Amino acid sequence: MAAVTARPGFDTEDPWTAIEACYARGWTDGLPVVPPTEALVDQMLGAGPWPADHVLLHEPVRDLSVTAEKAAINAVMAGCRPEYFPVVGAALQAIGDPAFMLHGPATSTGGSALMVIVNGPVAERLGLNASTNLFGPGVRANATIGRVLRLVLLNCLGCQPGVLDKSTQGWPGKYSLCFAENEAASPWEPLHVARGLSRGASAVTVYAAESGHNVLSHGTGDPERLLTCFADAMAGLGSLSPGRSAIVFAPEHAAHLGRAGWSRRRTAEWLYEHSWRSLADLKRGGKVEPAFYDNPSLVDWLYGARPGGAPDPLPSAADAERVSADDEAVRVHRGLGPDDILLAVGGGDAGGHSAFFPSWSRGRSVPFVTVEVPA
Amino acid sequence: MTRILDPTIQSAPVTATASLAPRPATLAGVTVGLLANGKSNGMALLDRIAEHLRARHGVGEIVRVAKTNASAPVREEDADLLAKRCAVVVTAVGD
Repeated sequence: MAAVTARPGFDTEDPWTAIEACYARGWTDGLPVVPPTEALVDQMLGAGPWPADHVLLHEPVRDLSVTAEKAAINAVMAGCRPEYFPVVGAALQAIGDPAFMLHGPATSTGGSALMVIVNGPVAERLGLNASTNLFGPGVRANATIGRVLRLVLLNCLGCQPGVLDKSTQGWPGKYSLCFAENEAASPWEPLHVARGLSRGASAVTVYAAESGHNVLSHGTGDPERLLTCFADAMAGLGSLSPGRSAIVFAPEHAAHLGRAGWSRRRTAEWLYEHSWRSLADLKRGGKVEPAFYDNPSLVDWLYGARPGGAPDPLPSAADAERVSADDEAVRVHRGLGPDDILLAVGGGDAGGHSAFFPSWSRGRSVPFVTVEVPA
Repeated sequence: MTRILDPTIQSAPVTATASLAPRPATLAGVTVGLLANGKSNGMALLDRIAEHLRARHGVGEIVRVAKTNASAPVREEDADLLAKRCAVVVTAVGD
């Protein structure tokens, strides 16, 4: 009988000491991991449709391929149950989509989290939380599915803090940021249907998210007054960019919009129209960098809403801090259009607390990507 | 005995897909490539380095390439250009 090559790893007499051994090898996110024994990994792998050597995620900048087996090992470590593995695999495929350009969100000083929104029948089947304490701890599926993405970045893609992950600060969402959309409480079609999938399908949508802004509103049921608060958060100078936005409406806020007959599209359009700051404000806040004037797409962002477009001649880099009278009337919008704003519903029935998450980076960031979860 | 499996992967070895170019004996007169990641100040840094290379080592032509997207790999045509025309390439990451 041919000798079987041992799969890479280490042997232990006592799996309990393996918890400390995983720490010693730098295999964790700072929290203890479940030591990935062969039996647990094979059970995880078997719960998905992929052969062990199937590449779920290829990172092209450094030519690194994450196989289903490596994903399964990290999923065991994260604490996933085997039945979560199809969602895990779909999420890895989503962040590995070339359009997502993972290298930037994974290594940049911006320090983004990888948000995973789950839709469809799989959410209830796995016990994913769509309700109370949506972003907080306590539910295994939410905590562990989100956690796998970070472990894969740390263990497979070299994104160790200070090595390739150069986040200035990062934020706690980087541990795990996975939740199910509260489809029952939503006045709209489920997010994955809005993004082109069928209602009966299950899907994950991923987003490179910076830390969220709490949008607190308990005083109104009028859609425009309510959304004024959201637009104000979106127009905050600190996160203003030509990038994307993700808003998770609390059921209470979503109900106000639904009762008033506002569709998802109408809501996104209103938000885009109303989330802007004057170019003068941007300059006063040091948000206009001299290098912007060398970048046609950033010039377009700054002056796109100005009648006649960018001034001719184009201002020089020296004008980045010089506020002209003209600048007070130039509106600089967050993002480039309503399509840059993803709207979902989630959270408990009680409370007017919603969240706005700006996208990673001070540029366009990367797009939302939706991938179907295999049956 | 229980086997605990390794969750990490090693980088694809450079030698598997490419070989390092020979090191030039001198920098005098060589064509130098500058590859910036496309974010602020990367090319500014490289341009200053090029000034020093000219002054101290008498390098020849300078070929400048800036990625348009810091998140994406360098474009094939840019990589080919640098490989074909340059003896050495200096790269910088701006932010």
